[in-house]
Amino acid sequence: MHAARTISLCTKDCVCLFVCPTGATDTENGQIDFTKCLDGCRLCVDACPSHAIYLVPATYPVPQEKSEAVRKSLLALANSKADQERLARSLAEASDDPVFRQLMDAVATSNHILAEDCYREAGYILPQSEVVRSWLRSLLSEHEKDEDFPSDAVTTLLEKL
Amino acid sequence: MEEDDMRQLSAEELGALCSNLQKACTKQLRSEEAALFAVLASYYDKQRTTKADCDYNALLDAINKDLSEGFKDASKAAEDANDRGAKRALVWGEKASKLLQALMMRYEKQGSALLENTNVWVCEICGFVYVGDTPPSVCPICKVPSFKIHPIQKEAV
Repeated sequence: MHAARTISLCTKDCVCLFVCPTGATDTENGQIDFTKCLDGCRLCVDACPSHAIYLVPATYPVPQEKSEAVRKSLLALANSKADQERLARSLAEASDDPVFRQLMDAVATSNHILAEDCYREAGYILPQSEVVRSWLRSLLSEHEKDEDFPSDAVTTLLEKL
Repeated sequence: MEEDDMRQLSAEELGALCSNLQKACTKQLRSEEAALFAVLASYYDKQRTTKADCDYNALLDAINKDLSEGFKDASKAAEDANDRGAKRALVWGEKASKLLQALMMRYEKQGSALLENTNVWVCEICGFVYVGDTPPSVCPICKVPSFKIHPIQKEAV
């Protein structure tokens, strides 16, 4: 567990610089240097007057199980929202009215976010989870002969997650 | 995902699944993994095809169908399973969908005047849409502060 800073909350009291035993909190980019930060130390987290520092876990628990009915109905909704995103983008592309295009962009963007949320609650919430990993593995075998598919990216993801 | 569900996923669905996981990696401050999910998302972005002969009413009908069926079915399943996380997504999603429906109906009446001297905004967290000069200070659906509510630009064609 390492400390991280929410820069928009930080009121620059700099107490974290005083308490950090390794200098990890003092960096030119406003983020905490993970390579120097001591696992689970949390001195800066407790000292920060603006509550701008928190701990990022290194490992996460297995996500809550989803019932088959919930999973299926959320995947169906995600399908519908993704289809609406496609419809809105198609309508935007077919039009040369800037206002209509702007409106359809907004509808497409909103639907994309709604589809993302459906996947999250259908069980695809944690990148490290077995459902995500097995999906990534299935992509690799499915696209074995597809040269355009970013197999390297997927392989690296499976190694890192 | 079950093998059977897999084959039916469109480029848009896979794109949303990838961008969701990309955001999750960003929240965990795993920027390398987030970038890799972004690579995968952009692959699916390129696989998108536009739908020919689509019309405005088909889009409005699809939103209406979610409101009359999709959200009801899913809410029943979430209620039966006492899945409060799913309920949360459905409460937010239904509210955002009602606003999309209202927005499209307003456009039918007002046409380009709807956005003539103003802007349209979308909340990056819940999909809330808003027409006006400045968005509310907190999102009325998910209560996130307004710095996560973004304007959709009018592009030159």
